[in-house]
Amino acid sequence: MPVRPVLTLPAPVLVAPAQPVGVVDRRARELAADLVDTMRVSPGCVGLAAPQIGVGLRAFVVDVTGHRKARSCHGVFVLFDPVVERASDPSAAREGCMSVPDLTGDVVRASRVVVSGLDPDGERRTFEVDAFEARAVLHEVDHLDGLLFLDRVAGPHAVFPRKVYR
Amino acid sequence: MHNGAVVNRSADVAHMALTAVGVDQPGIVAALTGALEELGCNLEDSTMSILRGHFAVLLVIEVPAGVGAEAVESALASVATALDLVVSVRPMRDVHPDPDRGPADPARSGEVYAFSIHGADHPGIVHRAARVLAEAGGNVLDLSTRLVGSSDRPVYVLHLTVGFPPGSDAGAAADAVRDALAELGVQSHAHPVEIDVL
Repeated sequence: MPVRPVLTLPAPVLVAPAQPVGVVDRRARELAADLVDTMRVSPGCVGLAAPQIGVGLRAFVVDVTGHRKARSCHGVFVLFDPVVERASDPSAAREGCMSVPDLTGDVVRASRVVVSGLDPDGERRTFEVDAFEARAVLHEVDHLDGLLFLDRVAGPHAVFPRKVYR
Repeated sequence: MHNGAVVNRSADVAHMALTAVGVDQPGIVAALTGALEELGCNLEDSTMSILRGHFAVLLVIEVPAGVGAEAVESALASVATALDLVVSVRPMRDVHPDPDRGPADPARSGEVYAFSIHGADHPGIVHRAARVLAEAGGNVLDLSTRLVGSSDRPVYVLHLTVGFPPGSDAGAAADAVRDALAELGVQSHAHPVEIDVL
């Protein structure tokens, strides 16, 4: 089943820490394909973490190709068991999330990030990302720790309705 | 809520607007929400904040069928007396979102601007800004003001979020606000709010 439904709050899998994948086997590669396929059919989607499609494993996909705010761009990449090696140069931006469809929030995140993990071939990969790609990676890594952008905002005045007209 | 219980939203309820204001002290939210829970009311959207030493509550509640605004006010009377709060509860007309009517969703088709306005306090700052925005078709989505500084040099700080319908010139409206306030010696900065969906 390549394209899976994207879960929204209050799905318990979204707020639980995900489990390590460990070995990239056939099932992990199927998960990678599902993440890519689901991202592809979701308009404007630049990243997706496994818990968002109901899988409590540490895996995400990011693709910021063509995004106006992207500087670094590594195309489509899936990482298993990602580790943020370095993060610096914080900047603020308003984020939305497919799993929190009604709200947005101002979140400060590092804009220069080094992230490593296993790719779908089981090879260890390291990516240096910045700007929008860095924000996308950190947003997805947060999902693996059971954290949403709602957990990163500075306070009640940093959360906003997404649809401002009814 | 506990034991995994979830709130069942049924159609057979009324929505009411509750306002409460009183000199700030710890326990206001706990006391108000306790009385509302006892009455079977659900809290929906709210803003609560300290405004010049007064705690101000503006809250939309879902009230069980058959309970009127007066009954909610009566249930809150002892809390209001104990904490010296002015409490009012009024029924609200339910708004049913209709995608075919009314302004479109600017998150997709219009623009949202954030305004930061500040300067020496002066009568009419909010009105000038709001009038220019209204003339441009802008809709105030959020607004917060603070009077700060000293009594001999008061400073006014205003933040606004404004939605503009598709086809309107938000940039020109922002310029018009800036010009209208410059006459008062007040600065206005505006920038489009961009949302990154991740």
